Formats: sequence, C-alpha cells, structure tokens
Amino acid sequence: MERNINRRKFLRTTAVAAASTFAAAPFVRAEESNHTYRTALIGSGWWGKNILKEAMGSKRCKIVALADVDSNVLEIAADQVNDLNGDSPKKYGDFRELLAKERPEIVIIATPDHWHALITIQALKAGAHVFVEKPTGHSVNESRAMLKTAREAGPVVQVGLHRRIGPHHVSAMKFLKSGQVGDVGMVRLFAYSGGGKEKPTPNEDAPDGMNWEMWCGPSPLRPFNKKLHPGGWRNFLDYGNGTLGDWGVHWLDQVLWWTEEKYPRRVFCSGGRSVRGEPVNDSRGQTSDAPDHQVATYEFENFTCVWEHRQFAENGPEKHSIGACFYGTNGTLHIGWRDGWTFYPTHRGQTIHEDSQLQEPDGHNLKLLWTDFLKAIDRREPPVSGIEIGHRASVLPLLGMISWRTGRSIEWNGAKEEIVNDPEAAKLLSANFRAPWVYPAA
Amino acid sequence: MRDGLGEGLALLALLAAGAMQLAHADDWPQWRGPDRNGISKESGWLDHWPDEGPKITWKATVGLGFSSFVTKADRVYTMGHGQDVDTVFCLDTGSGKEIWKHSYPAELGDKYFPGGTTGSPTLDGNRLYTLSRWGDLFCFEAANGKILWSKNIQKETGIRIPDWGFTGAPFVYKNLLVLNIGDAGMGVDKNTGNVVWKSANKNAGYSTPLPFSQGTEPLVVIGSGQSYVAVNPENGKEAWRVRWMTEYGVNGADPLISGEKILISTGYGKGAGLFELAQNPPKEIWKSKVLRTQLSPGVIKDGFVYGMDGDTDDDGPLKCIELQTGKERWSEPKMGTGGLLIADGKFIVLSSHGELSVAPVSPDAFKPTARAQVLGGKCWTAPVLSNGRVYCRNSRGDIACVDLRGGK
Repeated sequence: MERNINRRKFLRTTAVAAASTFAAAPFVRAEESNHTYRTALIGSGWWGKNILKEAMGSKRCKIVALADVDSNVLEIAADQVNDLNGDSPKKYGDFRELLAKERPEIVIIATPDHWHALITIQALKAGAHVFVEKPTGHSVNESRAMLKTAREAGPVVQVGLHRRIGPHHVSAMKFLKSGQVGDVGMVRLFAYSGGGKEKPTPNEDAPDGMNWEMWCGPSPLRPFNKKLHPGGWRNFLDYGNGTLGDWGVHWLDQVLWWTEEKYPRRVFCSGGRSVRGEPVNDSRGQTSDAPDHQVATYEFENFTCVWEHRQFAENGPEKHSIGACFYGTNGTLHIGWRDGWTFYPTHRGQTIHEDSQLQEPDGHNLKLLWTDFLKAIDRREPPVSGIEIGHRASVLPLLGMISWRTGRSIEWNGAKEEIVNDPEAAKLLSANFRAPWVYPAA
Repeated sequence: MRDGLGEGLALLALLAAGAMQLAHADDWPQWRGPDRNGISKESGWLDHWPDEGPKITWKATVGLGFSSFVTKADRVYTMGHGQDVDTVFCLDTGSGKEIWKHSYPAELGDKYFPGGTTGSPTLDGNRLYTLSRWGDLFCFEAANGKILWSKNIQKETGIRIPDWGFTGAPFVYKNLLVLNIGDAGMGVDKNTGNVVWKSANKNAGYSTPLPFSQGTEPLVVIGSGQSYVAVNPENGKEAWRVRWMTEYGVNGADPLISGEKILISTGYGKGAGLFELAQNPPKEIWKSKVLRTQLSPGVIKDGFVYGMDGDTDDDGPLKCIELQTGKERWSEPKMGTGGLLIADGKFIVLSSHGELSVAPVSPDAFKPTARAQVLGGKCWTAPVLSNGRVYCRNSRGDIACVDLRGGK
C-alpha cells in the first residue's frame, strides 16, 4: 500500500496486466474450481479498490459487502462495483456488523495499518480467507497474534506483498539465486523522493458522513486533519510506520526471499526530521511525525543489509531511486520498480536488464497475487506471500522503528521473537490500545 | 495618467492586430472565454502552419501551477508559484515582458500532484480578481497591479478548505464575486470584499460558478463536494442540487450547458450524465462512462460534445459524443488531460504532452490541419486564444505564446 514516491497515484480503471509467465498457471486451469466466493472489502479507499478490481476481474468473486468508516467512500465504491460487475454490495460502517451479517468467505483488508490485526483476527475467527495489506501489524506482537490466529483457524491468508510474484522480481530472484552475482556480502535497500520543510496543516471537523472516532480505532484519537486522510497516515506513527513500514517491508521481504537466514541478529537504525522539522500536534494543527530520512542496518549471519530512505534532494546522483542492490563478487544486481532489474557486472561486460511488467497506473502485480490467493484457497496450500512470510517481512521494519525510537541497537532472538536484554525496547514490541479496543494476545 | 496610457497602448495593439488581418479578434476576460463555454468568436487565424511549426513569439516562466490566462487588449494575466509565494503576473501580449506582478506567501500544496496555483484570474472592467487555493482574495487595478482591496476569505469565515484548495475562478455577477467556497458558493461584494452571502461549511468542489437561467431566475451552477448545485447568485438561494459523488470529492469540471440540457462529467472513472433543466430538480436523461472529465471541461458545438476522457495518469483520448444520447462518435487517443477550445469552426487542442493542434470541428473525425510541439512537461491547462495569439502553459509555468495572426 505504498504511497507514491514521485508521482500521484489515484485509483482508476487498471490496465490489463502484462502477460504473465507464471509457471503454475496451467495447473490452476487443470484443477480450477468453479466456486464463486462471497467476498467483502474492509477499507474501501484507493488501494482497497485496486485489490477489489482483481477480485472482480477473476470472475470467481461475488462482492457481497463493503465496509468503510466514511459513508462517502462507501457510496462511491459501491457504485463502482455495480458499474464494473453488476453486484450490489451491502454497505457497512462497522466491519464487525459486516462479518456477523454477511458471513463472507473472503475478506480483503485494506485499512490503515493500525487496524490490520484486529480485523484480520476477527475475520479469520469468522471463518473467512483473508487478503490483508502489508505490513501485517502496526507493532510486532499484533503481527504475532495474526500469525497465531491464522495457524489455529485454518483459512488462507495472503499478505499484499505483490513483489513476491511480480514477473521481474521472480526473474531477478532466479538470476540472483543462480549464482551469477557471485558471493553477496551486502544488500542496500533504498527509497528516495523529494520534499522540504513541513508546515502544520490546520485541524478541522471530519467531513460529513465520516466516523473519525472509528477511523482512529485502537490508536490515539487525534483531531481530524487533511494531512492524515486520505492516504497521509503512512507518515503518522500512530497509524503507520513511515517509509520504512510502507516501502521498506517490500524490499526487506526481497532479502528474506533470497537469503536462507530467517532473521537478522541485530538491528540499528538512526534518522530524523532534519528537513521536515519537529513534529507538530496541537489544538490548531498537525504535521506528520515519521522520519524524513532513516538508515537502518540489519546484521545477518553472512551479510549486512542497509535500508536508507530520504524525502528530500530528489534527482540525486544515484542511478535508481528505489529498490534493492545486491552487491556480489561478480557485480551488482539492482531490483527496482518501474525500471525492472539490471545487473552491473564487476568487469567489463554487458549489463543485463529486464523490464518490469506492472499493472498501471499504480505499478503493481495484484492480479497475479490474487490468482495465487484463489489457487491457494482452491487447493488448500500455502499462497506465495502467506501469513508466515508476511509476518517475518513485517517484523523487520518494526524492529527498525524500535531501534530508531530507543536510539540504540536491538539484539534480536528471531527464534523466540524476543528482544534480548533490553526490557525498555521489548515493551515497544506491543502498543497501548485505546479502549474499548483490546490489544490482541500473541 | 497611467490608465490613459494603458488604454492608448490597448488601442494601438488593436490597430496592430487589425493590420495583421484577423477577421475577428477578441479579449478573453475570464475562465473558458467571453461566453464561458470554451468557444471564441475569433476568425482569420492561421490554421495551417509551416513545417517548422507556428511562430512562438515569446516564452516566459511564471512558476508552478495550472492557472489559465485572461486577456484584455495588450495585457495577459496568469499566476504561478515558487519560493513559498504565489505570484500574479501581468505580461505584455506582444513581448511577454512583465508589466507588473504581485507576490504573497502561499504553500506549494503538492498533495499527489506537482502543486502550485490552480485557479485562474478574472477580469472585470479595469479590475483583476484572483483567489488562491488557501483563500487569499485580491482585487487589483488591472493596469498597474495596485491592490484595491484584499483579504483571506478562508481565515475570515473559517470555512473548510477542500483537499486541493479553492480552485474555481471568481465569477463576476453585477456587483458581486461568486466564489466556489463552501457547500454552495459564496457571494462577496466586488467593490469591498464584504461577504454578502455564504453557504454551509462543507467541502467545495473545484469548478468555476457557471451562469445560466432557468425560467426567469438567474442561476449559477457550482461543483460542490458531493453534488452540483444551482444557486441564485444574488443571494445564494439554492434552486436545486444533483447528487454527484466523485472520488476524493473532485467535482472539478464545469458542467456544459446547451439549451435546456446540462451535462455533468467528472473523472476517477465516474463518467457523465445529461440532465433536463426544464424540470426542477433536473431530470436525468442518460448516464454513462463515455466521458470522464477529470480536469478541463469539454466544449459543446452543434449537439456534439468534445472533451478529454480520463485522468492525468491515463493518457486518455479526446472524444466526440452525441449530446442527446451519449453515443461516442470518435476517439483520438493519447491526448491526456490537456484542453481545447473552439474558434471559427475549428479546434485548438493542447495535449497534456504539449502538442498543439488545429482541426476542423466535425462529429465524423479528428483530422488536424496543423500540429506542433510547443511545450514539454505536463500541460493540464486548456489553451487560450485571444487576438490571434494562443497562450499555452505547463505545470512548471513555462508559457509559450503562439502567434497565429494571419499577417505576412
């Protein structure tokens, strides 16, 4: 659900996905089920509707219900569903009522991060298969609770890490794992965009038809502010985890996809708001509060992984503004976004490049991820970015944020999922939920 | 003294224009032209260009934004943003030279787009009115930029700023400025800036109040956050409201009115609807996805609608549809969210990629007689034709003044 780095991205009719070479496709056809799934969307904004379009496009889903805390958003989304496939979904302001009354077989969850865990857990307990956006949880133990419930409950969970299945990612990973990059000693992950000093935006009453109290849900109740909604919450730490949580999770997941190690041993992160300025949150107005730049070091057994983002000094000397660089003895492999992947050999040799194959205008591969989700449900087998994978990937940015908050390195026992010898930091694995919402038990 | 001199120059400019053999020349004093419909009465301008393209008389840079142009005689006015200020410019139409400018502090406001000024100025007699995205309202002496009055109307009234700020141009009605501020507009005394009437404190949309009449009552139709609403410009009294839900509340494009029909069209996949104005509230005739106008409104000519279909990322087509039925007649691809006007039975179209073209208006096909790349970048502002010159801009604020006067 990454918010755009350098271009605006609004929902509109998605382009047809580029032809996929997804190897399993013939098997899907061979075993294809005819079952039509009663499908509901919770969080009916920009990204939620992107996912919903793939559900409709699959012709295997009847859209029975939509939920959103904003009745305007609901009305527009319901109209769009009706226009696109003729379904007339019921509209709910409260996801609990939706789950109770509709008994959906599939639930798509595309709310801001702070709602993911509670809704996922309730949907799973209601027996639904869940497609939930990344990162899984807003804090580590929320994600663990999601994992625990999924293991107990049984339905399929797909986490929206579409870069696990995007064609250029699949082929880049094949190239990387073939050994052609040589021995990889370091990985650098990065996201650069533009920006400057941030001035407070005035608080105001929430728009007519919006249940702002419910939007804030288990997180602190801030005054309504245009900076927060729609979309801006990603840079407010009460509801998101900044660029590291939004973009970092995709690229850290690429590292976990590549390495045989399951987690880093140590994490250190520094950064701040040198350019955007001190966060403001007073009765008059608000700025965001996520760091405008961050460097996080993830120490693995056999390599070092560095995350770096900045939201200023656009158009720097870097060849690529987003992605992952795997530095090996034979050269550097860059896996990017719209720029596909490129291998820069160490010695005089031809660079090797492959273009991306994305669905535009938002540059994703949700169609493939949705197809994989249905296949997993049909066959009762793990999807390509299931809850285990999504959880492990989501923990990494969250650990980075804990190190950034405490200002010291975090020693991580990944087997037990515990922070070693630092009770203060360990407390940040959980969060305080605003009553009546209760923090889920892991 | 200065006024007198200004008018003298204006007269000279008109004489010069005459000498350049324009059959009919016109000022463009407000958004969408003299008749607010995207149609100019100018004729005699060059509709065939040499291989090297038309003459670009001058270029200028006014800063970030999408503000359109207004003209009177030898003066052209627009706005742009840079270095934490908005600037209102008065330029010489012949040279692009700055006559005056005025800057005031303003935010860039680059929320999911490049940011900068989005509204256009309005000329009324010897005055120029501007409204910023954040509510700064100015009345200038058009000749010299002297501020006759100014205020921040948003701070004064405490009214909500919609997500992308106030964007509709001020519309002059008798002694009032009608502004797209609040749920159903606001009326302000044009001589003092005093608020005469206002509407509920809800999000405005982004269109410019469009005048029409229903029976004997003068009305303006305004794009609001959740509807298009018609009010009496004298007192703000609401006549009707058509609920029209567009994503993010972007009821942006002015509706198009032809006789007793009103066509509403917005973007984000929403589409268009034709309504019968003889009834109150207007009765729906058809609704369709055939035309989804995100930014610049189309133009109606002889029962056909010509407009850009799709959003800024779509690189969509210019389309011709039948007004009465919504049936598509033709579709010219890759025009993007540019804009067009019609003059002398011909289109002047600026694609969002900066290609300017001229083609005869026809419901059968789009067949350009002239085409040239006049700008780069994002051209989301409709071109303006005045006194044989076409004014084009991009989001960076680069202006190209294209001279289509028919002189040798």
